[in-house]
This record gives sequence, C-alpha cells and structure tokens, in this order.
Amino acid sequence: MKYWLNNWKRRLLIAVAIIGPGIITAVADNDAAGVSTYSMAAATFGYQIFIILIPMTILLAVTQEIGARIAIVAEKGLADLIRERYGVRIALVMYGLLFFVNLAVVIMNVAGLKSALILFGLNPYIFLPAIIVGLFLFVALNSYSIVERFFLLLIVFYGTYIASAFMAKPDWGLAVQSLVVPTGSITPRFLYTAIAVIGTTITAWGQFFINSYVKDKHLTIEQLKYSRLEVYLGAIVTDTLTFFLMVAVAATIFANKLTITNAAGAALAITPFAGQFAGLLFGIGLLFAGLLGCVIVALTTAYAFSEFFGYSGSLDEHFRQSRLFYTTLLVQLVIGTIVALMPNISLFKITLAANFVNGAILPIIFFFLYQFANNEAIMGAHVNNKAQNWMLAISSVIIITSVIVGIVGQLMGW
Amino acid sequence: MLYFAELYGKKVTSADGKAVGRLTDFAFLATDQPLITKLRIDTKVGHILVPISSMKAVNGTIILSPGYETSGVADNELSVRIHLLDQQIIDLKGNKVVRVNDVVIQDKPYFVIAGVDVGMLGIARWLKLEQWLNRQVSYFGTSLRSDFLPWENIQPVELSRGKVQLKREEAKLTKLAPEDLADHLERLSVKNLTKILDLLPNEYEAEVIQNLNVSRQRELLRSIQPKHAASILSLIDPDEAVDILLTLSERRRQIITPLLTEEARARIDYLLSLSTTDIGSLATTDFFTADPEETATSVRRRMKRETTLATPLTYIYVINKKKELVGVCNLHELLLQDGDVPMYKFMIPNVVAVYLTTPPEIAMKKMIKYKIYSLPIINDRRGLLGIVTIDDLVENMQEKLT
Repeated sequence: MKYWLNNWKRRLLIAVAIIGPGIITAVADNDAAGVSTYSMAAATFGYQIFIILIPMTILLAVTQEIGARIAIVAEKGLADLIRERYGVRIALVMYGLLFFVNLAVVIMNVAGLKSALILFGLNPYIFLPAIIVGLFLFVALNSYSIVERFFLLLIVFYGTYIASAFMAKPDWGLAVQSLVVPTGSITPRFLYTAIAVIGTTITAWGQFFINSYVKDKHLTIEQLKYSRLEVYLGAIVTDTLTFFLMVAVAATIFANKLTITNAAGAALAITPFAGQFAGLLFGIGLLFAGLLGCVIVALTTAYAFSEFFGYSGSLDEHFRQSRLFYTTLLVQLVIGTIVALMPNISLFKITLAANFVNGAILPIIFFFLYQFANNEAIMGAHVNNKAQNWMLAISSVIIITSVIVGIVGQLMGW
Repeated sequence: MLYFAELYGKKVTSADGKAVGRLTDFAFLATDQPLITKLRIDTKVGHILVPISSMKAVNGTIILSPGYETSGVADNELSVRIHLLDQQIIDLKGNKVVRVNDVVIQDKPYFVIAGVDVGMLGIARWLKLEQWLNRQVSYFGTSLRSDFLPWENIQPVELSRGKVQLKREEAKLTKLAPEDLADHLERLSVKNLTKILDLLPNEYEAEVIQNLNVSRQRELLRSIQPKHAASILSLIDPDEAVDILLTLSERRRQIITPLLTEEARARIDYLLSLSTTDIGSLATTDFFTADPEETATSVRRRMKRETTLATPLTYIYVINKKKELVGVCNLHELLLQDGDVPMYKFMIPNVVAVYLTTPPEIAMKKMIKYKIYSLPIINDRRGLLGIVTIDDLVENMQEKLT
C-alpha cells in the first residue's frame, strides 16, 4: 500500500512537471477568433452543432500529439526540421506564409480583446495599447516557467464559460445526447459552419507552437508517455470548454431565436436570459481568450523565426540574448494593435484571408509532419504507427475539404 | 573563392561536351583542413560520386576529365548538404548562434572549405537575389557584407555527430581577435585575402589589416582601389596608417592621402612630417592631455567621454598654457586622488621624454630603466609632438633583428 502510494505520488509529480504545452496549445485554440466562431455556430444551430465536438477532439489530439512527439524525440522544432531537410528556400516560403497567417490571427485576437474592453465600458484607445505593452514586457522579462504559469492562469478564466452555461439553465440531457446522436438535417450552411469550427480549432500556428513550446520545455524521452497523455487531456479540456460555451449560447440565444455576429454580441445577448452576471462572465472569458490568443500566436511566429534562421530564441533567455526572437513577437503585437484600432477596418476580410492561408498551409504542414514522423533517422523507434498515419491522412482530407468549402461558402455568403 | 549556392545545380558535362547531370553536393573530410574529396552529381538515373581530381573547370559549367571514375562514400567523409548547409551553429555552451546559410569554398591551390556564410547575403544568394539586393542597398550609400565564419572556428569532430559547434563561446567571426585572424590570413594569396577581407565589416577589416605583416600590407594596399585603401587607413590607428603608407611608393601615397577623411589626413600628415627620424616614424598622436589646474574628477570624466575610441591609455600628460609639457601622471595615481585635487598637486614634474633625434635603442633603455610603457616625444621648447609606445618600439626592434 505504501509502495503504491509512493508510486502514485511519483506519477503525480511527473504529471505536474510535464503539464503545460498540450493544455496551453489546445486551450489557446479557443482564442478570441474561436470563441466568436463557436458562439455564432451555437447561436445558429443550437445543440445540433454539438455532434462535431467529439470527432474534432480526436483530430486535435492526434495532430498535436505527433507534433509534441517529434519535438521530444528529435529535440528540434518543426521549423528546425523544415530548414535542415528542405533548405533555405522552402524555409523562407513557409516562414512568409506563417508570418502572414499568424499576423491575421493576432489581429483577430486583439480585435476580440478590443470588443471585450468596449463591453466593459473601457476606452480601447487607452487600455488596448497598455494591455499589449504590459503583456509583451511580462513575457519578455520573465522565465519560461513563470510565463507558463501565467498561461495556465489565463486558462482558469475559461471556467467562466462553465458558470455561464449553468446560469443559462440549459436542457443538460439534450446537450449531452446531442454529442453522440445527430439531430436536424444537414444543410450546406450547417456543413460550412461545422467546418469553420474545426478550422479555428486545428490551426497552422497550433502545429508549430506545440512543437516549439515542448522543445523549449526540454522534456525528455522518458516523459514521452506522460506528454502524450497531457496532449490528449489538453484536447479534451479544450473541447469540454467549447461544449460549455456552446451550451450557454444554445440555451439562450438559439432558444430565443436571436442572431449575433460576434462573441461580444453573444455576451450581450445572453444577459436578458441568464442574468447580467452570466453575460459578464462570458465577456471575461472573451477578454482572456483574446489575451492568450494574441500572445501565443505571436510567440509562434517568434519561435518559427528563431528556428528557421537559427537565432537564439527561448522564453528563458533575456531580451538581449534573444533580441530577434522578442522583436518578432513585438512586431506582431504592435501591428495587431494598430490594425485592430483602425476605425473602419474590415475584420471580415482579414478573417477570410487568414482562413484561406491557414487552409493552404495546413496540408503542407501535415505533409511535413508525415515525413518527419515516419523518418527513422529522426524518430528512431518512435515513428508513426499505421493508425496515426491514417488519422493524419484523414485529418488532411477533412481540413482541405473544409477549407475549400469554407472559402466557397464565405464567398457565396452561405 | 566559390559559394556553394552558386555551384549548386550547375550543369556537369564530360570532356567531350556530353551532359552528365547536375552538381548537388560535395563530400569533404571533417578535419582541421576540410579538403573536398568528391562531387555528387545527380544524373537521370540516380546519382554518382566523382573524385574532385576529375573536375576540370568551373566556368558556366563543370567539365569532368576524360575517363573519370565514380566511387562510393568513405567512412570519414561528410556531406556539405547534410552535415553543414542549413545546420544550426551552436557555441561551446550549446547556445544557438545562427544557421549556415551558405558554404564558402576555396578552390586554389586545392578545393577546401574555407568557412561558412552566416549572413543575409548567404540567403539572398540561394534566391539569386544577391546582386539585386546589393544594388538596392547601394542607393542608400552602403553595401551589404557577408558574415563569414572561418573554418578554424568550427569543431570538425562534432560535425559527424550532427553538430556544427564553435570552438569558442563568443558567436561571431567579428569576435575572433583580429590578431588571430590576421595570422591565418597571412597564409593566403593576396587575391583570396582581399576576397575574405571584403566579407568583413569595415572597422574589423581595418583591424585585421593592421595586424598583417608589413609585406602583406604593402601588397594589399597596392592591389585594392585607392578609395577603399583610404577608407581603411582612416579607420586604423594613425601611427599604423603611417607605417603602412610609408611602405608604399611616393606616387601611390599621393593618390591615396587626398582620399582620406579630413581628420585622419590631418593626423597622418602630421605624423608623416615627424617620420623623418626613426622615433618619429614610430610616433602616434593617440595621447591624452590635461591642464595643470584641472581637477582629478574633471580629468576622469573627460577620459570617460572622449577616449572611448582610443587605444588603451596609460598616462595623462599635463600641458601648461604655453603648451609646454610640465608633468605626467599614470592612471593608478589619478584613481587614487580625491575628486577636487588639481593635477599639478600629484603629477610627476620630471617627465622622462625623448626627442625626434633620439635613437629607438636609447628610448627603449629609458623605458626599461624607468619602467614606463610610453614616452612623450618633445621638441626643444618642450612642446609635445607625439608619443612612442613600448609595443611599437618592440615591434621595430624585432623587425630589425629578423
């Protein structure tokens, strides 16, 4: 019994040590852009949309696990491997694409942050730049472990969606049942929405981020098993949060047949049905989603830059040592803030462009993941098994289809 | 000097002009002298390895000598593309420094890897944008330079383990002491020497040239453009610049001197005017003076502000209103004083000095006797003309001996 307890304690310690990358990346997939998409999906289709949550969780878990495994076994990031195996020309093109798509996602997150500030009656022209500068300084001046704790703290605020969901007094039986039993008819508009939800969850930056971030954490091959569990857990936690968010929206906005255009709208629309506090909580959730999203996506670009071009880049290093790394981070945040604060900016067009490039780049990234994860010289005994390769192939097909349908849909105005 | 980016993909033909394939890689020995041993050619039916001795010319296309042989990879051979190009360079502590953007190959007298290019131009070269980029930048009156990392800095043993590791902790070539690089460069031909120097930032290039031996300096300054020569001379210590100028012909000197920056020209002209004697030719104007009434704090503050670019100073010379040298003080004494003490209170009034006519041997004897590291050179009105430092004197003696 004592032995068992010790063993259990030891495992818990390992679990605490490895926790971070999987959960942070996965939850960051529910960034401000994600929260908007989920809100709109649930407002339009109610519980019917819940059917995609479980397949989406599996897709997310599988693709992220491959990225984390490559980082642990090869001790290299995705960008490192692309540069070393495919040369400087392909590396440059990939970096250019990633920079562009990440910038668009950063803009969407800063815009989300802005609408949350407006929701709370705070002047975005004062508070938005202040928050972004503070965020940058915090990340630049603190070590990896402190920044990681900060990210984990931000994730706690996603709990506000759970509270919002309970206050909305939903039909829990129907909500859970909808996860496995398809309801309603499948229309092109439903397909398009479902695909948009998957597209904001499984992202190009997510693939790069999990890889670089795991590498920066210096996990060892003995921790591979636990890291895998952590990545799976991250996917489950993320989509559980998505579930509660959608429940809150479906039980109020959908049930009362209202329409919304973004997450801030959802926070306002919830209030009459679930109470002011629920709306407030929903708004807080959006605020923290924007915070986590903009810093993590900008960080992805910075990691990719230092990997592609070999400059030192780690959260553990001082600004002077990793100057280019932190400069890339800052540039993305500053451009994001400026664009988000422009009065007549069309976020719709930016979203469209970002989705397009994200879609275009994801199959390429999956190709690289496939190549690296099946290369024995890199992975040794930890190469992909057949099931993992099939999952990767299926994911690619789903994502490619989703992107094509998504873009056509947006253009046709479904 | 050849760049791998420019050779990669080049057409390879046999001696009779028939196409063989395209050059895609080199095999080299991971040793201190990284000889290139084989070239890899991708043909329509797989690839072949051909010994470098069969490679005849590298103009437009690469021609193989008649009856060339093919072979396999030997155990001690590494590949430029797999083991070197695009790899992460780390320093001794394992910190990431930069990636290998291009590989620099020296082709004479034999094919050997000279080092790697870690700069922007290395990337631009792969995109065939090198010249275009340089043209764009030249509009702004500046030029891009490659960041060249010589092979001496890389640990060959680590390469086969998949690591490009530096021998030292500091990252860049520009942090390699100029004296060390000069030693290495002295072994190259003037043509290759200029090519490598072209890769360096101007200030660093000047320091390296300053450390080359006299005959090398002369050859170099003869072969490069007068304008470039002038810009280098403006950057190096004036006494060294004078030494180099004195090795050139009168005519060449007159072409170069007007091109110097005004400040440098004034100092160099002055030193040239002194250089009629042995001691005069060793003189430098890199010295620091103070007024007898000036306080210790004021001197210390002024040194901090004004002497950042000067070579290390050892003494402060005290000059009165009549421009006479009236005293000297070393840095330690200056540091010991309270802030408000004027210089005349603690300076040494009996200055050991030499004249332009003093032979270097006597100057040396004075230095040894009084344990001083630099001597002021004065005229008969005790006016300070310049100083001569112990390193310049020793160097002068050494040259006389050899």
